[in-house]
Amino acid sequence: MNGSGPRLGRNRLWVWLFLTPTIVLYGVYTIYPVVASYWYSFVEWNGFDAAKTWVGLANYRAVVADPLFWNSFKITVLFMVAVVPVKVLLTLLLALVLNSPKLPLRTLFRTAFFLPVVTTTAIVGVVMQFVFDPASGPVNVVLRKLGVVADGINFLGDPKAALWTVVGVYIWKWFGVTLIYWLAALQTVPDEVYEAAAIDGAGPWGLLRHVTLPLLKPFAVIITLLTLESTLKIFDLMLTMTNGGPFYATEVVEIYIYRWAFAATVPQLGFASAAAVVFGLFVGLIGVLQLLGIRAARKARSER
Amino acid sequence: MISRRRFLGASAGGVLGALAASACSTAPSGGGQAAGAKSLRVWDHFQPREDLHKKLFADFQKSSGTAVEYTVYNPNQQGQALQLAFGSKQLPDIFTTAGVKLPQARLRKDGWIAPIQLSKEDLAAMPQDAFLNGFTHFDDKLYSLPMVSFRQYGTLTWYNVELAEKAGLDPDRDLATWDGFRAAAAKMESAGGDGVSGWIAPLQFAERMGEHVTDLAMAAGGSGATDPRTGEYSYGTDPYVHAIEFLVSLKKDGLLFPASSSLDARTARARWSTGVAGLFFDGPWNIGVVKDQFKPFVDKVGVTSMPSSEAGRPIFVYTPPKAGDYCFAATSKQPEAAAELLKLFTTKEVMLAETEQMDGMPVDLSLVDKANVHPTYKTAAAIFGRQIKLRPAPEVRNPGISEVVAEMKQIQPDLGSIVQGVLSGQLPDARKALTDLDRKLTAERERAIKAVAAKGVKVAAGDWAFDNWTPGQDYGRDKYKTS
Repeated sequence: MNGSGPRLGRNRLWVWLFLTPTIVLYGVYTIYPVVASYWYSFVEWNGFDAAKTWVGLANYRAVVADPLFWNSFKITVLFMVAVVPVKVLLTLLLALVLNSPKLPLRTLFRTAFFLPVVTTTAIVGVVMQFVFDPASGPVNVVLRKLGVVADGINFLGDPKAALWTVVGVYIWKWFGVTLIYWLAALQTVPDEVYEAAAIDGAGPWGLLRHVTLPLLKPFAVIITLLTLESTLKIFDLMLTMTNGGPFYATEVVEIYIYRWAFAATVPQLGFASAAAVVFGLFVGLIGVLQLLGIRAARKARSER
Repeated sequence: MISRRRFLGASAGGVLGALAASACSTAPSGGGQAAGAKSLRVWDHFQPREDLHKKLFADFQKSSGTAVEYTVYNPNQQGQALQLAFGSKQLPDIFTTAGVKLPQARLRKDGWIAPIQLSKEDLAAMPQDAFLNGFTHFDDKLYSLPMVSFRQYGTLTWYNVELAEKAGLDPDRDLATWDGFRAAAAKMESAGGDGVSGWIAPLQFAERMGEHVTDLAMAAGGSGATDPRTGEYSYGTDPYVHAIEFLVSLKKDGLLFPASSSLDARTARARWSTGVAGLFFDGPWNIGVVKDQFKPFVDKVGVTSMPSSEAGRPIFVYTPPKAGDYCFAATSKQPEAAAELLKLFTTKEVMLAETEQMDGMPVDLSLVDKANVHPTYKTAAAIFGRQIKLRPAPEVRNPGISEVVAEMKQIQPDLGSIVQGVLSGQLPDARKALTDLDRKLTAERERAIKAVAAKGVKVAAGDWAFDNWTPGQDYGRDKYKTS
């Protein structure tokens, strides 16, 4: 033990040296903004004045009393509820297909489904405006040619269609990520189990129902929660596709916050920060769920 | 051989060094100019004038030795850029306040802007009615140099000449009223054939839609967002409701270009200039941008006044006096150089050259006739000369009003959003939404007046009322004395 003292100290020095960039960057770009937004939420400040006035909880009261905040909250939750089940189930189905060693061109398909994930979201949003253009967009041209509709459908301008169009694009854009989670999860199912089940006379359906799915259960919890959380970050796609419109029909909380912080005629940074904090607490709640879910999943795995 | 440890040490140092270097290199370079070499930073939003300004500034550098770092912003983004620049004490020496909706009176108080060191003689070539205490001047000192006239509006009817001919229209006659506009749009749509619509609008740009409706409401006998006689908000009145109903009727008749809901002013203009729609509401700068960016279309552009609600009703558009455009930063250390640069814009030659860029109307409207500009720009100037009347501004009578304006928070949904909502069918009752807006604005103004009064500023709701205002007339400086 005697000789390990200085070495331990030197190691610790190295550890800290390598951690420094992360700590500094994380501190400056993550911790500081979070703390600052808490502070701003208690002041009234338009970003132009030098003076910030302490207003206590007034911003929170105003946020909670604003029907448009709750509208945006509702839309955020609606978006989440619409995306998560569809995305989790569809990706699972596709992962099962792509995991089959009998499928030719597996790698090609995997790449194809993953490609949209690595495309810049804002660009996808802008391109989708053209794709869904009611006058000359390819989707409407095809629909008209097929005789499905007489006039173009206003996918992004009709309040009844806009949110669902973004839901569709979002699922397509981020399909690959969830798919990769499932494929990784499928790798953990040992071949011996399949072989044993096959020897016992299980068919493909039996294998899926009694072997694969039960073993995937802990992953299902984690993947669902990860997907749930990722649907809360749709600012770039929503802003470029609909800008929250028409008339707040697709205004998620992130756009609501942005509108008050930057797009308002006189910005209200305190008010926007209060909305951000309230939303942050909601995200935090989902985070706690995630933590509990992961813990339960681990427990389930270790009990196996 | 380098030992592993030494290699790691060196590379870690390298990473940190690189981080530090990149942090420095992302800082704006303006503040960090080498000592001795003089340089001015200028930000504005006059995109159609960019080439002219670059040339002017290059000549200025040659004659004075002061370099100019010039940035043209999209007005939407300039407000954010200025907000951040002010916060980090990096305001450019000279800037326009596009996107900053606080009154300049407030900016002056908050230490944004300082007097521009130009004398009365320096400004002699400019029309003197462009200057007004409370707007361009405070305490008789020039705080912002006007580049654009208050005599303009953004709802001129721009039409596609080719389609108008095909449809057999006489635009000045057939586009004079709302009913005529609707009928003309229908004719252009059917004359244009497949894929051509009657009217295109920047529906996604709520603020612009609100401006259109305010202008159209004045073409129906309204007097703007507040009634100058009583000072009360008047969005819930007939002219506003009817103006919105007019736009809705265009949509109901299937005349609206279908993709309008995703367009802002720039993209709507770009689409219009491909010939997909006959009619487009826009300001005089439309032709400047078309000439710059969509040149093949420039000969197909025609313009006439916005339509009036009924035949025979003369149009009066009431616009308030305007603050100046170029401001001088209070934090700048080069007041003389900045004044020298701004002096350029006060000369007849430069004012004429600015006019020829066909952006916003020049402060001196009479320059348009002498300038080498597209005929539509001259038509626009003539329309503005007839229709625009100066509106009374409470700030002139009581400077404390700018404090109230700065204190007031935005009410949502505002006029533009309501227009969007009615057009998309989400707000079935326009009048109710507009009356609600009036009510909320009145309450917010009351609150702001109280908050400002608590700080010792003398203000009252009555400050917005001008009982000697006469519709159809300019409210000149002399009128304030008798109000």
